[in-house]
Amino acid sequence: MNQLDYVVLIATILAIPLYGLWRTRGRETLGHYIKGDESIRWATIGLSVLATQAGPITFLSMPGQAYESGIGFVQNYFGQPFALITVCAVFVPIFQRLKVYTAYEYLGQRFDQKTRLLGAFLFLIQRGLAAGITIYAPAIILSALLGWRLNLTIWLAGGLVVAYTAFGGTKIVSITQRYQILIIFVGMALAFIIAVHRLPAGLSFGRALTVAGGMGKLQAVDFSLDPDRRYTFWSGIFGGFFLALSYFGADQSQVQRYLAGGSLTASRFGLLFNAVVKVPMQFLILLLGAMVFLFYQFEEPPIYFNRPAYDRAIALGHGAELNELQAEFDDVFARKRDLLSLSGVSSASRQEILQLDAKARELRDRAKAVLERAGASPKSKDSDYVFITFVLQHLPHGVVGLLIAVILCATMSATAATLNALGSTSAVDFYRPLIRPNAPDHHYVVATELLTIAWGLVAIGVASYASLVENLIETGNILGSIFYGSILGLFLVAFFLRSVRGSAVFFAALLAQCLVLILFWTLSISYLWYNLIGCAAVLVFSLALQRTIFAKSSPA
Amino acid sequence: MKGTDLQSEPDGDSAPLFGSWPKAYCVALGIFAFEIVLFYAFTVVFS
Repeated sequence: MNQLDYVVLIATILAIPLYGLWRTRGRETLGHYIKGDESIRWATIGLSVLATQAGPITFLSMPGQAYESGIGFVQNYFGQPFALITVCAVFVPIFQRLKVYTAYEYLGQRFDQKTRLLGAFLFLIQRGLAAGITIYAPAIILSALLGWRLNLTIWLAGGLVVAYTAFGGTKIVSITQRYQILIIFVGMALAFIIAVHRLPAGLSFGRALTVAGGMGKLQAVDFSLDPDRRYTFWSGIFGGFFLALSYFGADQSQVQRYLAGGSLTASRFGLLFNAVVKVPMQFLILLLGAMVFLFYQFEEPPIYFNRPAYDRAIALGHGAELNELQAEFDDVFARKRDLLSLSGVSSASRQEILQLDAKARELRDRAKAVLERAGASPKSKDSDYVFITFVLQHLPHGVVGLLIAVILCATMSATAATLNALGSTSAVDFYRPLIRPNAPDHHYVVATELLTIAWGLVAIGVASYASLVENLIETGNILGSIFYGSILGLFLVAFFLRSVRGSAVFFAALLAQCLVLILFWTLSISYLWYNLIGCAAVLVFSLALQRTIFAKSSPA
Repeated sequence: MKGTDLQSEPDGDSAPLFGSWPKAYCVALGIFAFEIVLFYAFTVVFS
């Protein structure tokens, strides 16, 4: 990075929050602080919902995912449109009509105070930890590749978000997210155009797609029923639906986004906007990864993208081993490039090209094994370094600064939404009913600001110690899956099992959460299943408890 | 509190441009179905 990059980076990440602060200046009521005001339109809500979900991992990991495994990952999002429409039809009218500040407030009205607190508590644990991971994940990658100090990166990114989120509440989060996501779109579009432009002369975009497809990177839809296939249309529709319903229906960081503004029509249009835009957006990000893959078929890639980890292994005495692998990798790359330059992926050359590609992957795995033996293994997957390496080494100055700003904008927008939700939930669901029930409105605004700052410090603290966590990026998803099922179960019981009362659902959710935690520590199934298990357990246990132990409290 | 009673449409609430919300949902699903067709065509053409 040069001075131009730093100017673009600093100007971008500071200008948006400063504009947001200017737009939200002045004293507010608690309602405005938590739900924004009527100036928040559906387009802002739609972009805000999109920005909340599209964290830094989306832009760092997705292109790398396509580089490694192709664009089939897009199928994981196929359940989202159905989930978003379900949320529009069932969840939003209830939340809007009751004029709740948080989703858990509804649980209090439908059941009782203890059930509301349980739902809010599960959310706070899960999101409080996940917020730290959201800050740490890009910080570890950027600090490794740019030589920035890790703690400084965490404090700069985290501190800025905490400051403006605490000051401006939901309105500033929505406004800043609108511009942050627009910067992200511009940055990713530029990266896509440059990646295509940097392909060899004579390789048109259409022919490039044919080559990438021939190498197995462009299978977007797979209708196979084979359970061993990792990403299929069916797993995306069913698994994706359930995960998305939990996320959009029961996670306050999303609920607060679409309740902003207070209009049912704006909330619904914002969500429907996501139903039609989210999947194509993920497709294009993955296609960018496929273009980066293609670029590296003609420009030699490093055998291991996380260069600092690679250099550490050399310093620890594994240089000879790695040099040998590198020489073999160079040879495989040259043979593959020559074949592709000569004939693309023709029927005659396809088999040989695929064999060479498999060989290159095997050499990369062997290099990774050397790094692990050397004790230089990083906390994140090497594929997370693919896109950022491409950006740093092959994009022009200025654009590099913009793309680093994209990563930080994504970090800030996702973290701001989370902190905003954590502060609001702590104030509305815990502080107001349990500690100061009848204070003036302004008192609660200040309390929410202070609680947002406190959660920001927790997130920064978690980020500072996240290096103790193995397999960092998976951790956020695992945390979500462990707690989301029980939280969603509470809401589904509230909506659809009218006979179930507060005590039955409360103990059912506690039992379900214990069951999920026991299964998590004893089984080795995919973590996505815990969403389904937790939710189903709440439904079954609550019905069983209501008809047995709590039968006397059933309505007449 | 009867949660499901709250799920009915608020009086007079309709989807601008579409007439009713069920129609708006069908349009969104139709666009999504069209996207899937495009992705599938993309897969068939380039894989």
